[in-house]
Amino acid sequence: MSSTDRGGASEVVSGALGHADALYNLARWLARDPIEAEDLVQETFTRALAAAHQFEAGSNLKAWLFRILRNAYLDSRRRSKTEAAELQVENVDDIGPAVETVDESQAAQIRAVVADEIAQAVRALPEIWRTVVILDLEGLTESEMASVLGCAEGTVKSRLSRARAVLRERLAPHRP
Amino acid sequence: MDCSKVRELSVDLQRGTLAAEPDGEARAHLLTCAACRAHAEAERALSDALEAKLPRFAAPIGLQRRLAAGWPASGSTARAPRRLWTRGRGIAAAAALSTALAVVVGGTTAVVVQDHADARRVTEEAVNDHLRMLGGAPLAQVTGGLHEVKPWFGGKLDFAPTVGFAGNSDFPLQGGAVEPFLDRRAAVFVYKRRLHTASLFVVPADGLTFPATVRAQTIHGFSLALWRSGEQGYALVSDLSLPELLDLQKLIASP
Repeated sequence: MSSTDRGGASEVVSGALGHADALYNLARWLARDPIEAEDLVQETFTRALAAAHQFEAGSNLKAWLFRILRNAYLDSRRRSKTEAAELQVENVDDIGPAVETVDESQAAQIRAVVADEIAQAVRALPEIWRTVVILDLEGLTESEMASVLGCAEGTVKSRLSRARAVLRERLAPHRP
Repeated sequence: MDCSKVRELSVDLQRGTLAAEPDGEARAHLLTCAACRAHAEAERALSDALEAKLPRFAAPIGLQRRLAAGWPASGSTARAPRRLWTRGRGIAAAAALSTALAVVVGGTTAVVVQDHADARRVTEEAVNDHLRMLGGAPLAQVTGGLHEVKPWFGGKLDFAPTVGFAGNSDFPLQGGAVEPFLDRRAAVFVYKRRLHTASLFVVPADGLTFPATVRAQTIHGFSLALWRSGEQGYALVSDLSLPELLDLQKLIASP
């Protein structure tokens, strides 16, 4: 093992537990229930320890752990035939409001929503958009999100923009 | 710069991450375009709502214990792990967070002492349990008010919750429930305020950190008030504003 490897592994060992809350939060927005979310987090830590030597010292540990968690989530879904089929057809990147109409009342409507309403709106997003919204709230850059999702930065930007447009529309529907 | 480009850059503009030139062009456009100003304001409102109101789930204490128990000490070499973390296994080996939890961050070791850890787990349990109530935990019918709720608790709890506020027109009482709260059962009273829900958890305070006087805070976008009265601890949680939550707290705590 090189000194770089040891440094990366050491960072994983010393820092990963500090991200348990953030990982569990993402898991709750992905999983069907709290039990599945706990399993996902535990699987993430198992995989992280096994792959600790691959972590590049000095890079973003939280983003690295998010990537492991999301891969674990996708693996669990693929094990289910039905859900694997759903994953294959869930190509949402072409979906989105065609022409956005915004008026001055929309901001006020959004400011009036309660936690339950915004939670439902986020929960109703397609998984890939929901993930981008949560990662953005966690403070990841577009580059880091792209690394988590295995896509280009431009794709991340587009998904985040579309997800936010759908959220605005759901929380403050335009009334012509 | 045209409207579609300005809207594309709206979030970056809001966050101040644009380079000087596009930042200036976008701001100049906003001065002359009411529709894009409305769009930018809606984007800002959405950011504020997501940051302040979207529930953020904290890892349950049991999960944290299992992770800590299976994780190597800092300074040791990471090795291929055994699968020790399946729920229900390895818990006995976990170091109890209620005594002390050594958290290793960035090479330094910080010890979270008992009171701090206890207070944190009470606040996080209260918020998590409130989310469970929002998620549809069943409520007892209370068409007759408190005198129907309190007998309903009989046989389900090993203590009699002391709550005298039967609700009013501002904060109508919706129902009662019995829910797990850390290592014990809580009597839950659910009140409404317009579209908002407030959950009051009442537990025997023995062994938990409840302050003698009311302590209010916001956590993960929720308002929370904790206090102790006699032998019972009270946790009131809602997405109401903190002042409104404290209005309800005064009604509940008044004799």
